[in-house]
Amino acid sequence: MIDVRGVHYRYPRGDRKALEDVSLIVEPGQFVAVLGPNSSGKTTLLRVALGALRPQTGSATIGDRAAHDYPRQELARLVGVVPQREDNLFPQRVRETVLLGRYPHLSMWGGERPEDHTAVQRALVACDVESLAERWLWTLSGGEYQRVRIARALAQEPRLLVLDEPGVSLDLRHEMALFELVRGLVDTQGLGVLMITHDLNLAARFADSLLLLSDGHPVASGAATDVLTRETIERVFAWPVALQTVEGRPHMVPLRQSKDAR
Amino acid sequence: MKWTLLIAATLVALAASVLLGPAAVPLNSDIVWNLRAPRAVLAFLVGGALGASGASLQALVRNPLADPFLLGLSGGAGLGAVLAIALHLSGPWALPLAAFAGAIAALVLVYRMGMIGGGALDPRVLLLGGVAVGAFAAAVTTAIVSLADAAELRNAFLWLWGGLSSASWDAVVIVGVYTPIPLLVLMGASRPLDLLALGEEPARYLGADVERVKRRVYLAASLLTAAAVAVSGVIGFVGLVVPHISRLTWGHRHRALLPAAFLGGGALLALADTLARTVVAPRELPVGVVTALIGVPVFALLLRRWTVA
Amino acid sequence: MIRRLFLAVLMLAACRPSDHPAVQASNRIVSLLPSFTEILFAIGAGDRLVGRTTWCDYPDAARDVPSVGDGMPPNIEAVAATKPDLVVLYNSGPNVTAALQLERLGIRTVLLDMNRFEDLGPATRRLGQLTGLEQRAESLATTMDSLTYRPLPPPIASIAFVVWDNPPIIIGAGSYLSQLANLAGARNVFDDVAAPSAQVSLETIAARNPRWIAVLSDSGTAPAFAKRREWRAVPAVRDGRFLLLPGSLFGRPGPRSAEAVRRLQAMLGR
Repeated sequence: MIDVRGVHYRYPRGDRKALEDVSLIVEPGQFVAVLGPNSSGKTTLLRVALGALRPQTGSATIGDRAAHDYPRQELARLVGVVPQREDNLFPQRVRETVLLGRYPHLSMWGGERPEDHTAVQRALVACDVESLAERWLWTLSGGEYQRVRIARALAQEPRLLVLDEPGVSLDLRHEMALFELVRGLVDTQGLGVLMITHDLNLAARFADSLLLLSDGHPVASGAATDVLTRETIERVFAWPVALQTVEGRPHMVPLRQSKDAR
Repeated sequence: MKWTLLIAATLVALAASVLLGPAAVPLNSDIVWNLRAPRAVLAFLVGGALGASGASLQALVRNPLADPFLLGLSGGAGLGAVLAIALHLSGPWALPLAAFAGAIAALVLVYRMGMIGGGALDPRVLLLGGVAVGAFAAAVTTAIVSLADAAELRNAFLWLWGGLSSASWDAVVIVGVYTPIPLLVLMGASRPLDLLALGEEPARYLGADVERVKRRVYLAASLLTAAAVAVSGVIGFVGLVVPHISRLTWGHRHRALLPAAFLGGGALLALADTLARTVVAPRELPVGVVTALIGVPVFALLLRRWTVA
Repeated sequence: MIRRLFLAVLMLAACRPSDHPAVQASNRIVSLLPSFTEILFAIGAGDRLVGRTTWCDYPDAARDVPSVGDGMPPNIEAVAATKPDLVVLYNSGPNVTAALQLERLGIRTVLLDMNRFEDLGPATRRLGQLTGLEQRAESLATTMDSLTYRPLPPPIASIAFVVWDNPPIIIGAGSYLSQLANLAGARNVFDDVAAPSAQVSLETIAARNPRWIAVLSDSGTAPAFAKRREWRAVPAVRDGRFLLLPGSLFGRPGPRSAEAVRRLQAMLGR
């Protein structure tokens, strides 16, 4: 569905390329994780994949069309995006904010239809936030709020879900719950998922395919066991790690720099 | 239910505007028909324009403290008006036209400043540019007043404080024909404005054409405000407080909020004008003073509710 | 340091304007109000004027006196440059400050009230004192007093003075214009407003239906607001019953006030 091939991208005022020869494929029913240190180009790749940025070289298509060719509303019916930051200006209830996800389906002057409310309800249930539906957003915990944002994206009834570092600032329980939720959506609803994340281990555990970036370059892609090797991680992240196996997937453990430090 | 109450309140305010006044006159008199009635309708239109404009601007610049007059329009209008008086421009419409022209000039200036390249409008630059342009225009205005025929121009400052004394059926027709167009543009932008409250990037991903919406909302809201200032000077607090009061009952969904802010603003200004005319009769208070006197305590109450909640 | 401050305060306290005994008649006078200029010329002290405001246009000889600006506020440097020994100012807040500044330069200043006809007599007498022309001043002051305290004729018409149209500002009982109207036999429909001027609703003007709308105007044509639709709700505006009063004669109390009353009377009689 998402097909990014050999893209090079430099920001208008950038001194170096943000992306160099990066490719990425996300199919329906597939969970792809994009990893890498800060400023490795992960968010840029997401924007190029969604047509928000046009690469100087290479192509980015969604389905059979170029990503930038999609009218905004049509793209929003296809792809549900949960960006890193959201700064909600006015107080809202959960149900109202999830309803915003139906806007790509609404005409300018038409009202909400029964199928819109049904879609909202389904999204609330799928993300396990139905019990919070009448709560004000400011009363929610971080983890609950993230699930609400995913519910909003689901209300768009997309074929593809894109999440930019959704687990940041979530505690252990909520982060695990979030990954379980996303995995569940892939398995039960056949959604394609593209997720940018810092968490190598959870990516390894839950994703079908990983892409590791470093300084805009693709370092490795494919199955977790192929991508997350000790040499690769130590090279990309410049830190010594040890590798274990948990639940059949690689699990990396960062090591102390030197035993006599402090 | 709440809509019924709001419409009822608006009708009561309008009726009071027509029935009450400093002079005790029979209802079928020339005064009531040619002075009070157009003044009531004009107050309603101007107050409504300010309410709707304020609500949409608050969403556009993502700042609940935004007021239609933050964007430099009142400064431009005041400068236009003072120039018209200083240059002794004749004609009954000279003052409103000059004020309107001044407001549009300020609008264009601030718009250019807010365009940061590639057709993108930066709301923070709009705000800062508006404050700067407004301050500059105010300084030039004061300089002109201090250098020219001081007595006449001192009275011009009273005009700036806001007043509906120039209301006539002619003015009502002009404003009545003009206002629906920008209002419709704002109403059409209701859904994108809801999305914009999440932030520009989330709004984009939910299908909003963010740049187009920003441009349209800024221009429509500014055109509404320019007309309001041209006809009635600077009437503060309506555009700031009415959207907040409306949000308490109608929430933030602009499809309901914008009409509610329009009706609420219209009712409030009609009421304020009635008070301005009757409280110190036969003298009259500038209506901008009355809206400030009502608006500030209401605003303080709202702030308390927000901080306590 | 404290001593110096103390001395400065003492000096300032001592320098209260218009507190000097009339030791010597003034010979170089700056007048900062048209009314004072007219009075000075009327008592024969016109040739002693070395400075006037741009508004001081009567009598014709006044125009030969150099102007020191419009006087709002007074231009201290221009006044001082004429090397006056006396400056006469209208008693108002900004002028008190200006007077203090002039006193600091060693120039004698006198502040006089000139708000209503009752102020004409005392001002004239004081100016006579300051110029040593007490007799002529006394005779002029007596004439003015006889105007001021003349029994009022029965009113033959109602009038409203409109100073500004948007918002409408009228003259109230506190202004000498209102007195002028009363002396000419007109009743100011706004004589229940104590202030010299006030903003009122247009409908009040329309409801009180004055027979005449008086405007200070040198142009001789109806004011611009006469064409405005909302003003035509006032019958006097609709029917064009305007009294156009030339600013020089009617805009200030002074020796010509009796003439102003006569002129207004004649206009009302039409």
